[in-house]
Amino acid sequence: MTLEWRYVEHALPFLLEGTLITIAASLLAVALGLIVGIFVMLGRQSRFKALRGFVAAYISIVRGTPLFIQILIVYYALPGLGLDIPRFESGVIALSLNSGAYISEMIRGGLMAIPKGQLDAAKAFGMRSSLIWRRITLPQVLVLILPPLTIEFTGLLKASALLSVIGLVELTRRAQEVIGETLRSPEVWLTTAALYFVMCFALGTVTRRLEKAAAAYRL
Amino acid sequence: MTFSFSIIAEAWPTFMAGLLTTAVFCSVSSVLGLGLAVPIALAQLSRSFAWRLPAKVIVEIVRDTPFLVQVFVIYFVLPAAGLPVSSTAAGILALTIHGAVYFSESIRGAILSVPKGQVDAARATGMSYPLTLRRVVFPQMMGYVLPSIGNQLVGLIKDSAVLSIISVPELSMAFNTVLGTTFAAPESFVTVAVLYWLLTSAVTLVMSRLERMTPTHRSTQELTSLIAGTDR
Repeated sequence: MTLEWRYVEHALPFLLEGTLITIAASLLAVALGLIVGIFVMLGRQSRFKALRGFVAAYISIVRGTPLFIQILIVYYALPGLGLDIPRFESGVIALSLNSGAYISEMIRGGLMAIPKGQLDAAKAFGMRSSLIWRRITLPQVLVLILPPLTIEFTGLLKASALLSVIGLVELTRRAQEVIGETLRSPEVWLTTAALYFVMCFALGTVTRRLEKAAAAYRL
Repeated sequence: MTFSFSIIAEAWPTFMAGLLTTAVFCSVSSVLGLGLAVPIALAQLSRSFAWRLPAKVIVEIVRDTPFLVQVFVIYFVLPAAGLPVSSTAAGILALTIHGAVYFSESIRGAILSVPKGQVDAARATGMSYPLTLRRVVFPQMMGYVLPSIGNQLVGLIKDSAVLSIISVPELSMAFNTVLGTTFAAPESFVTVAVLYWLLTSAVTLVMSRLERMTPTHRSTQELTSLIAGTDR
């Protein structure tokens, strides 16, 4: 078999179109996941036992079952409950619900890394707890979780390939469509893999920079 | 919406066959993957660039592309290159390579967790490098490596769900079959989710038991809760 460059050239514009959808879905998912993660983290520390139990069950289910199945459940099961949601939104919801369970752990780790003395000092100055949260805790937690959050975003870029199974035309689905049309699969799959690689490798470099910056900030 | 247990009872043999296939695929791949992971980890830690480079290339390629795309590349590109692969072979190969790379990262981290001075001391007393690994490094890294390997195993089981796309008859394929013949969506979804959950929970439980038997498990629990964030 010889790989022919013209098939790559033909496929590339279509694949780049799909790449945009992949990036959009993953960015939205990490942003919503952060919000879900904050609520999950708060729910875990709640005074109400029922809420703590619910959150624990949610985390266990998300971590114990394949994302593949979760995506299908959100896409096929929600309409059965009377909610009609399109592919893109459904995919983003599935990814964010999944991501939120993991991000809540990151936030918890970030909170634990903040020295207790800072909070005591702020209290001693008479700062209210909402002010402490806004001025002391949140800015530091955000810096601390930025590196793991970029890792999570990289993970979501890869995980979003699964959205092709519900027919969302992101990068992987685009590749399948191009193959269906040109009947040349090796070039298209290798190009697709290369596009994912470039995105994730670049993000990996960014993550390492951020890790260094965050480590310096901590001192 | 009604929930019918008789549908689940009727589809039970299909689900069990799928669960068995998932378990077999994951066991075979994780054993092969662990076998490959040790040399990859050692190559990455090697002083020689000629060893480090190929290991680094494999690790980066696998880590920076989606598992689904890896499966497609193996299943569609290898035959075009003159290597016909069945869906079974493609599935095992994809899971093994994927597992090997993620296991190797756990092992590499674990080897680095053993203080370097101990390795230097062992070498200085005349122990060969393989003997140093066997007597000094491996026993001490167990408490660190087991929880992390446990997470990767859970990840492997969850990743294997994708193999239904190349028609490997595993658990999510069984789910597809049941859903396609009975149209009983709530029953099929709940059953497949519960079965995956039971399988991954069982693996987690066994791994934490194993971990408790190692001498160094105490201080590693916080570390693993941080690492745990990456398995999906």
